[in-house]
Amino acid sequence: MVANPSQAKFDKAKRDSAPIDSPSTLQRFIGRREFGPLVLLIVEIVVFSVLSTTFMSTGNISNLLAFTPEMGMMALGMTMLITSGEFDLSVGSVFGLAPIIMWTLFNQEVMPLELAFFVALGFAVLIGFFNGWFVTKLKIPSFLVTLGMMMVARGTALYITDGFPQRTWRAETALTEIIVGDFYIGDFRVYASLLWFILFAVVLGFLLTQSRFGNWIQAAGGNSSAAHARGVRVNRTKIMLFILTAVMAAYAGITSSIRVSAANPNSGTGYELEVIAMVVIGGTALMGGYGTIIGTILGVFILRMMRNGIVMIGIPGLAYNIFIGAIILGMMALHSWLERRHHSGT
Amino acid sequence: MATELVRMENINKFFGRVQALENVNFTVYENEIVGLLGDNGAGKSTLIKILSGAVLQSSGKIYIHGKEVDIDNTTDAINHGIETIYQDSALVTQLSIARNLFLGREPLKGPSFLQWMDQDKMNVEASRLMREVGITKNIPPTTPISALSGGERQAVAIARAMFFDSDLIILDEPTNNLGVEETQGVLRFVRSARDSGHSCIFIAHNIHHVFEVVDRIVVLRRGEVVADDIDPKQTTVHEVEEVITGMRVM
Repeated sequence: MVANPSQAKFDKAKRDSAPIDSPSTLQRFIGRREFGPLVLLIVEIVVFSVLSTTFMSTGNISNLLAFTPEMGMMALGMTMLITSGEFDLSVGSVFGLAPIIMWTLFNQEVMPLELAFFVALGFAVLIGFFNGWFVTKLKIPSFLVTLGMMMVARGTALYITDGFPQRTWRAETALTEIIVGDFYIGDFRVYASLLWFILFAVVLGFLLTQSRFGNWIQAAGGNSSAAHARGVRVNRTKIMLFILTAVMAAYAGITSSIRVSAANPNSGTGYELEVIAMVVIGGTALMGGYGTIIGTILGVFILRMMRNGIVMIGIPGLAYNIFIGAIILGMMALHSWLERRHHSGT
Repeated sequence: MATELVRMENINKFFGRVQALENVNFTVYENEIVGLLGDNGAGKSTLIKILSGAVLQSSGKIYIHGKEVDIDNTTDAINHGIETIYQDSALVTQLSIARNLFLGREPLKGPSFLQWMDQDKMNVEASRLMREVGITKNIPPTTPISALSGGERQAVAIARAMFFDSDLIILDEPTNNLGVEETQGVLRFVRSARDSGHSCIFIAHNIHHVFEVVDRIVVLRRGEVVADDIDPKQTTVHEVEEVITGMRVM
């Protein structure tokens, strides 16, 4: 920088200006978007533990942890996609279709299970690619594209199977053990899917917050034209995230089919909205630009524990949706209030 | 005459049947600030967008340092040393200052199969750059853009162009929505950018701002260049206004 008279003024101004108060660690912690969901989760756990003696039992917790990773994996993929400013309504259908493809190929003795597994994931890659290509190249909103794909994938699963579930119990191979084998720690039954969920969460969390790709995801969701002007490959980033989301859904569906010993062409119906709800409850911005994997994990547990807890304390399971809806509305109100407070403070 | 930096030759641009630019010839030399003026719809933005890779010309050639180049997208332009600061601030408001400064060119560390952003380096550089453009407040580089004022945002965009040492910095309405002091800050930067060897194209509605800072004025009118060598020191604002509206030929 060239020396100029304003430099002296600037130095003086620097001396005069008191350093801005940096918020304390506690304040920063409370200011985080994950803080609201964390409080909600803790409240939920406390309330259910008080009202139900069995809620915190080993049996119930291990039950809860059996199913949660499957929704959780879908939510992890969805978090990345929503951060980039898009979303995917076809995940529930892909959750149903992928295991149908895998088990049909295996049961009809077309190919060994391991190969069928990769073929099923390959289909998910194609579905994700088509979603992404339609959204980015043809500029059709992701709502419409993935709504169409939701029906195509579900229809395909029903057509292949004539609507009948595929049996999956015939195979106890190394592959199924790796995906969702169970083992005991004391009385505590743990499925391998929980470990995969943790691994995926760590990898995707790292990717989103620490990597260049993560920076591009947030930029694509925040201001895609500005990102594009900086040389960020917005379309490619989004297509890759559509693929990631579809693959995560397929993997979750396969996991589920092995765990419950059946691949039902209807399974996963309605999951897409629950998964999106988990993501936004956790603090990820539905319109993109900001995403949090930690928040999503909290969101996943908030909704899964709610489903489990209200049954445990004797509320009819049919009332579940009332609570979910109330949580979504409450969390959105909280996020918007925090947002406004944040802006008025600057 | 000084060395030629960028030359656009016989540029035509059609949007459907509308011709936005007609045989435009436009040259920027090294170490100069060119003011690009014209009424709304005169073709300033289109010309700039072609140069920055946001729009493709229908016909015509672009030379940089005398060599013909294709600018098919914004990455090409940036790689050729052309940096554009748009009026609708080219920043991602949700991201921090540091992340915006390095967007698209994030410094990486770690082994090649597993690389992550060198955020320490980004933050240190960002703080230094913000001081260089003259932000006196002590703003942490991790602050999101959404928490900054209009002038501070402009400063981030300008710091980015400076850091990446572009040969040509295009400023599209950089003084819009800025206070008097912040406007002076921007003009000061434009001058120091030239003094440190950059060239600038300066587009502004406020002709007085243009007069204060540029070496040469080019006027577009209805897609054609009607004057390309107006010396602001030997011309009045009023005369240039007449050229823009077509009441005077120079």
